[in-house]
Amino acid sequence: MTEEKKSKKQEVIETEVALGTVHPAALEPYRVRLFVEDEIVKDAEITIGVNHRGIERIMEGLPVEKANALTEKVCGICSNAHIWNSVLVAEKGLQIEIPERANYIRIITEELERLHSHFLYLAHGSEVLGQETFSMRAFYLRETAMELLRMIGGNRVQYGVSIIGGVRPRCELNEMRIQKIAEGMETIEEGLLKFADRFVSDPMIMSRITGVGQISKKDAKRLEVTGPSLRATGVAQDLRTTMKEYEPFDFDVITQDDGDVKSNILMRALEIPESVKIIRQAIKNIPEGPIVDRSWEMFDCDMIQSYIEVPRGTLYHSYGIEDGRLRGSIIRTPSMSNIGAMQYACIGNHVTDAQLCIVQCDPCFTCTDRAIEIIDSNSSNSSNNSNNTNIINISNSSTNNSNINGNSNGNESNIANINGSSNNNAINDNISNISN
Amino acid sequence: MSYITILYSVLAVIATLILAIVIGMLLPGIERKYVQARIQQRIGPPVTSPGIMAPIKFFFKENVMPNSPVPGLYKSLPIICFIVVILILLALMPQIYSFGAFTSIIAIIGFLKVEEVAYVLMGALSKSVMSLGLPFPDIVKGATHPNVERSYIEDLSSNRAFRLIAFGSFPLYLALFIPVAITGSVFLGDIVAFQQANGPFILTLGGAIGTIVFFIGYMILLNEYPFAILKTKADVIEGPYMEYASKYRSFVYLTRGFLMFTLGALFSVLFIGIPPNIFSWGILVNIAVAIIFPVLMGIMSAFSPVFTYKQFYPVVVSTSLLGVLAIVIGLLI
Repeated sequence: MTEEKKSKKQEVIETEVALGTVHPAALEPYRVRLFVEDEIVKDAEITIGVNHRGIERIMEGLPVEKANALTEKVCGICSNAHIWNSVLVAEKGLQIEIPERANYIRIITEELERLHSHFLYLAHGSEVLGQETFSMRAFYLRETAMELLRMIGGNRVQYGVSIIGGVRPRCELNEMRIQKIAEGMETIEEGLLKFADRFVSDPMIMSRITGVGQISKKDAKRLEVTGPSLRATGVAQDLRTTMKEYEPFDFDVITQDDGDVKSNILMRALEIPESVKIIRQAIKNIPEGPIVDRSWEMFDCDMIQSYIEVPRGTLYHSYGIEDGRLRGSIIRTPSMSNIGAMQYACIGNHVTDAQLCIVQCDPCFTCTDRAIEIIDSNSSNSSNNSNNTNIINISNSSTNNSNINGNSNGNESNIANINGSSNNNAINDNISNISN
Repeated sequence: MSYITILYSVLAVIATLILAIVIGMLLPGIERKYVQARIQQRIGPPVTSPGIMAPIKFFFKENVMPNSPVPGLYKSLPIICFIVVILILLALMPQIYSFGAFTSIIAIIGFLKVEEVAYVLMGALSKSVMSLGLPFPDIVKGATHPNVERSYIEDLSSNRAFRLIAFGSFPLYLALFIPVAITGSVFLGDIVAFQQANGPFILTLGGAIGTIVFFIGYMILLNEYPFAILKTKADVIEGPYMEYASKYRSFVYLTRGFLMFTLGALFSVLFIGIPPNIFSWGILVNIAVAIIFPVLMGIMSAFSPVFTYKQFYPVVVSTSLLGVLAIVIGLLI
């Protein structure tokens, strides 16, 4: 495979420089081993697994409504995406049609969340670049989105907007709130325009990010890159175009061509106006009516799955319902495959750029460190297996962390070691198998 | 020389040193609070915090033994750096000009080299918890390249400090030789006397170019953004200083502020012709330069990302060429 060849092409590895798990440039704990020659990264290995909290295990057997609320704790940045998708799973299984107005409020919340996530990305990216002024500016712009989310949900994080059948009554949008959102969109659009203008016209910044951490379209697909990081390589793939929730809205799928840090940053910057466009359509056309349908009935259902497009890519939730309680929850965040791919993005770049190459995919390590699949790659039927023999979901096992390296067939390590796209593909296949 | 003159000179030297330390302690705060924080529209730290309160606080903290193969040498390096900066400032004072070679450009360059070599040693002797110091089981079954030699991140900064000796200090040293080229003497006394007779070099073409070159060299020596590859947060974090705690960290902070003032005074001597002397109004010029340089540095660093070698080399090469041009102009005119 290309990426394997890329790793083996290394001539000399002078030394290994390990960073983390405690490191100021990494906002979340993870380990990266950089194999360098003359400060140029020849190979890299990212190791995650120190944040495992076992949320799926805690969710097991909880009433569905309670378990849904718990999914917000998966991520502090895209908490709404998790509860929304988790609620969508239940609504799909229980065949609940939510009121149109509730869907609009959910979309507004999700797009606001996308705004604050993308601004956070721009801020953190600037910080890793060493450009603290741009970082501060991006944080100021983010404040508008955060305050709007607080207005809707009552919190700056974990707003608890979605519930089965619609949205919480406290999240109703009255005229004053709609007006505030409209004003916020003006502020964000104006601020972003100035920010982006200064950012792209700064030759020092452009010199630092152009051609750094490049991933080709072909490799991005093979490495299962998802979301804006995939679109930054030129693949026009956005799940929102196929989601029925987004049918009433008109927006463009933004793509870039180079797959480097510059493309990734521009992707997020250009996606912000699209989110603003969606929010404006939503507040303009929001239908009248109830915001929650409480007439649904609980019944047992098999494993149901749901995919949605969140700020970092495709988010997967699935579970079954038995006696009103949740069974066999699986959550797969987009960072899972993105992080694995980014260790290849580091190759060929300067050590100082390594963190930049990793954060270009907007990784969320704590979200990712929940469910680790152990895949026995030595098994002859590993690619065709169903959901039984070769998969261990450590959320349900006594082992907290495990090695999922393709060459390994056990859990000797205490740490999940993401090595190679084949594992990510296998994880994808197996998740699909479980779900089917 | 009468006893009164000697006493007067000793008093002048001591008072100038004390003033330099006080001003130097304020400079990091001015840079961070009134420049960087204002640009970034935030409140910033109290002006006394980075240069005065932090060293005092650290001085009285309990020391944590640094993780270093030679802790004694490692701990002594900030003190050596501090003494070296004092020696540089002493060499700049007019009362010392009779000490011959000690007050020459060659001596100044030698002292600055000690400072640079200290960074190499600090990096090589520091083994922090941010990398291999952390007990982390990453050499496990399936791990990539399990048998490769492993380095601490401070080893990276040590290598970088070594590279900076090789190429990073070119602009500053070339700038130091511009007055030498104009006056034809390496002695500071001659350079000051020449400027007092013929006007400051900063007003000449060679001197004006030299000012730009000196400023870039000043930023590189102080490891300030964008030239902070020695201690960039993206990989080596604090770099050579990582393991310093308590009074040793206090010396690191003091030395930085003091070096800022001293380099400002060096510029005053070489390009304006006014040496630091507390019993002369010229000291105000020294103080002004010492403040203007950090302010300009703060503005530049607030708007710059950190440079990797890809950006660093062209900047150093072009600045060095400017320095050579200024020397040629100085020789010709």
